Amino acid sequence: MGTMAEAAPQTPARPRRSYGSLTGLLVVPASLWYLVLLVVPLLIVVVMSFGEKSRLGGYQPAFTLDNYIDALDPQRVSPFITSLAMAVSGTILCLLAALPIAYFIATRGGRRKSLLILLLIVPFWTSFLIRTYAWLTILGPDGLGGFIGTLIGDSSFRILGTPFAVLLGIVYAYLPLMVFPIYVTMERMDRTLIEASKDLGASRWGTFRQVTLPITATGLITGSILVFIPLMGEYVVPAILGYGRVFLIGNQLVLQFLESRNWPEGSARAVVLIAIMLVTVIFYVWFVNRGRRTREVSVL
Amino acid sequence: MADQELERYVRQMRWRLERTPISRRGFMWASAMSATAAFLAACSGGGGTTSAAPSAAASSAPSAAASPSGSAVAEQSFTVPPDIEKELFMYNWGDYVDPNNMKQFQEVFGVEKFTYDTFANNDEMMAKFQGGAVGQWDICCPTMNYVPAMRDQNFIEKIDPSKIPNLKYINKAFKGQWWDPTDEWSVPKDWGTTGISVRTKDVKEEVKTWRQFLDLVPQYSGKVVFVDSPDDVFIAPLKANGYSLNSDVKAELDKAREELMKVAPHILALDSDQYNTKIETEEAVLGLTWTGGILELRDKPETADVVYNIPEDGTVFWLDTWVLLAEAPHPIAAHAWINFIHEPQQQALETETNQYATPNDAAKEYIDPKMLADPAIFVSDEVLAKLEPQKDNSGIQQRADIWEEFKSKIGQG
Amino acid sequence: MTAPATPVSRSDVLPNVDVAPGRAKRRGRTRDRLVEGWLRGHTLLIYLFLYFPIAVVVVFSFNATNRRVTQWEGFSLKWYESVLNDTVIQAALANSFRVAITTAILATLFGTMAALGLQRTPRWFRTIFEALTFVSIIVPEIVIALSTLVFYSTSFDAVHELFGVRWRLGFETIIAAHALFNISLVMLLVRARLSGMDRTHVEASFDLYGTPWRTFWQITFPQLLPAIVAGFLLSFTFSFDDYVITYFVSGAGTTTLPLYVFSTIRKGVTPATNAVAAVMLLITLTVLVVGQFLVWRNARRTGQRGAQASVAGMITEQSG
Repeated sequence: MGTMAEAAPQTPARPRRSYGSLTGLLVVPASLWYLVLLVVPLLIVVVMSFGEKSRLGGYQPAFTLDNYIDALDPQRVSPFITSLAMAVSGTILCLLAALPIAYFIATRGGRRKSLLILLLIVPFWTSFLIRTYAWLTILGPDGLGGFIGTLIGDSSFRILGTPFAVLLGIVYAYLPLMVFPIYVTMERMDRTLIEASKDLGASRWGTFRQVTLPITATGLITGSILVFIPLMGEYVVPAILGYGRVFLIGNQLVLQFLESRNWPEGSARAVVLIAIMLVTVIFYVWFVNRGRRTREVSVL
Repeated sequence: MADQELERYVRQMRWRLERTPISRRGFMWASAMSATAAFLAACSGGGGTTSAAPSAAASSAPSAAASPSGSAVAEQSFTVPPDIEKELFMYNWGDYVDPNNMKQFQEVFGVEKFTYDTFANNDEMMAKFQGGAVGQWDICCPTMNYVPAMRDQNFIEKIDPSKIPNLKYINKAFKGQWWDPTDEWSVPKDWGTTGISVRTKDVKEEVKTWRQFLDLVPQYSGKVVFVDSPDDVFIAPLKANGYSLNSDVKAELDKAREELMKVAPHILALDSDQYNTKIETEEAVLGLTWTGGILELRDKPETADVVYNIPEDGTVFWLDTWVLLAEAPHPIAAHAWINFIHEPQQQALETETNQYATPNDAAKEYIDPKMLADPAIFVSDEVLAKLEPQKDNSGIQQRADIWEEFKSKIGQG
Repeated sequence: MTAPATPVSRSDVLPNVDVAPGRAKRRGRTRDRLVEGWLRGHTLLIYLFLYFPIAVVVVFSFNATNRRVTQWEGFSLKWYESVLNDTVIQAALANSFRVAITTAILATLFGTMAALGLQRTPRWFRTIFEALTFVSIIVPEIVIALSTLVFYSTSFDAVHELFGVRWRLGFETIIAAHALFNISLVMLLVRARLSGMDRTHVEASFDLYGTPWRTFWQITFPQLLPAIVAGFLLSFTFSFDDYVITYFVSGAGTTTLPLYVFSTIRKGVTPATNAVAAVMLLITLTVLVVGQFLVWRNARRTGQRGAQASVAGMITEQSG
């Protein structure tokens, strides 16, 4: 099996070779999208980051590095640290919550697999704000918070407004983004490999570690990226469930873009954030992928 | 002529019918159908209700008003401008206009499509216009301190007072003010204050001034809520020290910063949306708040101890205003709307629905006397004279810095 | 039961592979049972976790209170009645739907195409493209929202100057902006699936003189389908629930449900929005149940059994 796959790209004999460049054209629509709706707006952001705030708010053409100096000011770096801590813990929690359920549905779901997956996402077709407000009721003084408070006899006990509540809200909001990529890779996994591993005497955990995990690694990576990155920019959940006591980069950016309407400074901050994250992500992907054979074979 | 009479009659009947509650049996079916219907309707490109339009000639249309609870319903007649457009696009706060008024306007004035788009706060609204979204809507409803900035950036157009005869009902306290000295750019909508909310069953001390309020915060640590609005939060420390709440003097702002940093660790939350819930559940027993939701709490037996005090050392009054947006696609309908909503009975209905005070004196005749007598909503004239109007402070960098620092220190330490 | 040399379907090889307890019995390990129990328990817990707030939402839609949602004040259907009379909410719901479906279709199509075609592009292109994919996810929403608005308004002004055509903000601008993030989403999902795929089937197909097109449809596409469907669902969800981007790039008459709900915050979120959420839920679950029932009935009538007798089966099992 392995040799056949590896031999494939070197065989030029098939007519499909002439379809190669046509296949490459498939990326055109997505590329256009990136060019027009990502690159250009980002260029606008970069340009604004060198400008000045106009008196009435917004952007005024200028060229200054002040915004970057402010953005990199080590004294105002605490929202970044808090966001990092929140994002890392949130991602790990999502991972821990998602792995078993993805595994269960992929391997034990049987005929009802897709239904189970669909049911995971149906709750998200009701308004996010409403669901978050429901958590306010559930965790609040009329709900769990008050209940536990009376139980331990502490009337000022509070679940809301703590990092716990924020993390709970985060897992609640981001879980599908973690489950879906993992499920999608696990479901395709060839079960015979697991059989073989067990027949060769590996323990359940050993099998999981040496067979399941590497194969589903791509799914795990995709899932963690899809959760960690947007988490760095999150601000709504901490605002509502965290009572605004947790001040993150997202809050800071919103404050600058909307309340202060200081677009140049907000832009500089955003550029710094994007640069740091891009480097981190690329490093992370490279680190996990090194040593894995990259599959160059195309399917079309 | 008979045709028109018939049309009018049908419209009135339909309108009355629509306001009767539907039967239980029907609702299940109707809910599924309506959701599907709404989806299909949107697919065919509509966004508002349609109704039979009167002929294009000017006509006076008598119409039964939705009844405000203040007084007997009077028969009204409206003048429909001859060339009024068939559409009106409004950009407003959520849920800020009584749906009955909207419906009546559509029927009387033949405006078939009334689009109601929303924003959550002034800053978002400004950011959207500054990003370039001009020419999309006809009418907007900013708070008054944003009007000069909107005017200077050409987001709004001058209003034609000859089209709005009902301007005569507006109390003169709201005319000729700093944000619109010539009254050409805005028409007042409703107004309110920022004050101190107290659960008197938990807080026995007197909290009638900002000074008392700020001094009490450390004592009730973790049980105090502020609205998430820099302009409002600055009122407390500035007024407590006798400064103007719009101050931009460095020394004064430094003092304000000191006061704010002192109370920051003791604050439960900065919350513009759920402060009333927090007060209701006693998560917070003290608050720097608006009146929204607080007054209802006062009317309920379990929370009758809630009190809203307008601080004696002074506070702000805010005013929401109607403005005509630049490049408005339907200016005639826009003017007609502003005039319509300031008809006394329509305005009274608005006041009762929104529970904010009205600047329209003639409407008071139709408002529930209980509401009129409420000092938290309808502030007496002498208190009104002491209130300071909100200025546009978004350009003051020191304020922005203090606010950012304050926000990041909430509940810490 | 002997395994064929090249497995074409999981059920050919190990029809019992999904039934773990059989193995446990054979090996006699109680630890396996415990793990099974834990897996089931964890899954159940997660579903409860997801649906409990939904249940609360539905329950509170019957709240007789006049303003805020969070205090129960008696049973009432008045909010459903108010939703039926409220054209603003209905329009918002319909708009959300329209935007989300279109975005999901576009994103799934272009994202899948990109995932498939990327392997055939030069290396330098691939690196840039991947970097851009990450960037599209990294950029905080407020930043991309505002800059996209500025882009739209400046370019619409330019178009107006040059061609006299007046473009406006509207559904198209929202859909285009949503599609950006979603294209990346779908692309990442499909690529993840692609990288774990067994190429031998593809090779076999070519060896048997199958054309690339047929190979794709009969071998590759069915294997990719779960990722494509997952991408579609996630795109729909993201678009349906989005606030920040939608707010900035929407025009007149395109208020979506999240926009409407967020904007009522100042006055207090009423149970009316709960009622809308409950109706949405009702419709979705009804569609799922009806779909499942129809397939079941069809299977009964035609005597089909096994994988085909369910929506789930039709989606996951390979065709042919």
